[in-house]
Amino acid sequence: MNLRRFLPKSLTGQIGLLVALALFVAQAINFGLMLNERRGARFGQVIVPSVTRLIDANERLANPLPVDPVDDDRPRRQRRDFDQRTRVQLSNTQPIPGGQPRRPDIEDAIERGLVDGGLDPLQVLAVVRPIDDRRPFLRKMSPQRADRLRRLGAELHVAVQLRDGRWLSLQTGWPRSEMVVIWQLLIQTGILYIVVLIPVLLATRRIAKPLRNLAAAARSFVPGENAEPVEEHGPSDVRSVIAAYNGLSKRVTAMLDEKDRMLGAIGHDLRTPLAALRVRIESVEDDEDRGRMADTIDEMNRTLDDILSLARLGRPSEPPTDVDLSALIDAVVEDFRDLDMPVQFEEAPRLTMRIRTGLMRRAVRNLIENAVKYGQSAEVTLVPESENALIAVADRGPGIPPDQIEAVFDPFTRLETSRNRGTGGIGLGLALARAIVRDAGGDIVLANREGGGLIATIRLPR
Amino acid sequence: MVIEHPMSELPHLLLVDDERSIREPLAQYLTKQGFRVTQAGDAEGARARMAAYAIDLVILDIMMPGEDGLSLCRHIRETGDIPVILLTARSEETDRIVGLEMGADDYVVKPFSPRELAARVKVILRRAAAGGARQHAPDSGSFAFAGWVLKTGERALVDRDGVSVPLSTGEYNLLHALVTRPRAVLTRDQLLDLTQGREAAAFDRAIDNQVSRLRKKIETDPKNPDIIKTVWGGGYTLAAEVTRL
Repeated sequence: MNLRRFLPKSLTGQIGLLVALALFVAQAINFGLMLNERRGARFGQVIVPSVTRLIDANERLANPLPVDPVDDDRPRRQRRDFDQRTRVQLSNTQPIPGGQPRRPDIEDAIERGLVDGGLDPLQVLAVVRPIDDRRPFLRKMSPQRADRLRRLGAELHVAVQLRDGRWLSLQTGWPRSEMVVIWQLLIQTGILYIVVLIPVLLATRRIAKPLRNLAAAARSFVPGENAEPVEEHGPSDVRSVIAAYNGLSKRVTAMLDEKDRMLGAIGHDLRTPLAALRVRIESVEDDEDRGRMADTIDEMNRTLDDILSLARLGRPSEPPTDVDLSALIDAVVEDFRDLDMPVQFEEAPRLTMRIRTGLMRRAVRNLIENAVKYGQSAEVTLVPESENALIAVADRGPGIPPDQIEAVFDPFTRLETSRNRGTGGIGLGLALARAIVRDAGGDIVLANREGGGLIATIRLPR
Repeated sequence: MVIEHPMSELPHLLLVDDERSIREPLAQYLTKQGFRVTQAGDAEGARARMAAYAIDLVILDIMMPGEDGLSLCRHIRETGDIPVILLTARSEETDRIVGLEMGADDYVVKPFSPRELAARVKVILRRAAAGGARQHAPDSGSFAFAGWVLKTGERALVDRDGVSVPLSTGEYNLLHALVTRPRAVLTRDQLLDLTQGREAAAFDRAIDNQVSRLRKKIETDPKNPDIIKTVWGGGYTLAAEVTRL
């Protein structure tokens, strides 16, 4: 069994639990000390007088004095088996009714006291029993005494067997102090918890809340988006953590801005010579040659576009809009067909999705481009499922060795062995397509088809 | 193609680009194509040449040091009717949209095919000659018709519910040609001519095929079209009310 599961995980919970435990331990120690002290006090209050009474009674009962003339002003019923002054009973049989648990600790203490006082008993019996309100003797005694007994809650009954076999016994009030002490402890603990725990919880909440806000801000951090800095509050340590985070996010944003500016400059610097080249090749006489050159320049330009888009994908400038996905695929396929490329699309019913149109067009186009490049043709299907839309692009090309299926997603990977292409270039298309689709919350999966060829499936959440 | 007109009768183009490596060969090419070409390396030079010559059309690079192309484009639009074609290095939509809003007539994205540029220049010049005084940039902004909106900046067709229906390049060009000339009967040849300036791709596809694809997307009943109607012996016409937005 793993108890750890039940432990609180939050800062407030852990500190609260720790403080509560510490308080409890402190209270328990306190309680032990208090009990000990009570026991000592009880000795003083109950056992010492009892011993004195017993010794006194023993002397008086064993050597009955003639009536003391000084004391004789009160009429007194003189009894041979009851010492009036100490209220100690003398009997020939064991006076304590059986069936009650004995208290060896009290017995030992009384015996030690008796021995110290010169009385060496055969044995000492002691029981503590609760006061029963209905017991007749309560009514016989004075109201104050009865009241005191009731308040104490218990009485101690001691019987001492003397050397001659007779028994001395006495009854006296016994404070049932454990209950009182336990109640005191509970109330004390409760007060302590309120006094200590509430400020502790408030203080930790004060620390934990800004930390939670910070965590939320860090989780929702979109690189490059100029988010509001997290408000600095809480103790100074927490404040400095928040300030450090704010600084960090600002630096990240600044770095991304710098990257964007640099990419823009690179794009411009590369496109300008490409554009110049594209203008110059118009002077090439041979139509076929010129066409090939134009294709190469177009391809370089597309690659440049892909690099720039991939690099900027984290912060796309195009907002998502409601688009008919079926028409989107149809439009992309139609552009390929306009260029006389063998691309088939089974018309699908209208399917409205919220996506970034331009980027998604490019993702679908890249997959079809790959299929046409390596498989000479492409069949595109759109399957609307209950939670996803699946766009499958299938070809009948050589496929991909199973152990390299993941590798083709890495930018700049191309499988030279199984797939060759005439025009050269880099395997950026798939990486970009996957990045676009993942940005939209979906994924792209590649699989080899039965009967040869590759099937690339875009899964988009609806 | 042999040019037999004297210089003064040739259409006079002003080519503004700070990149000599593009400007000079492009000027050479356009000259061969039968235009008179004057070059400028920056906005200031362009203003001076526009003051000195009767320019028929300006080809303008957006990204230039100093005053940029967009600002110069706004100036041209404020002071006259000379058509403008923008050259943009970035393929980002915002540039196109801003450019078209500034009153540019068209744009090409670098690297562009000089043939395509020349074809577009011809289309715009022909349109300017036919329409006489230029009233507005006819192909910029948005057009509403029969519950649809064609947004030229984003090249998107949007339905009543705000859902956009992507079009292929050919479809877009065709619809654009029809929407900018509502109720005019356009023959297949005219449509080919109007759409070819955009992309060479449209050359090989039969206009009829494109029309039937478009009808499938926008007509309630493609068999009995209400929006794009066939004119017997003529061609096609857009039979809906078009509102410029």
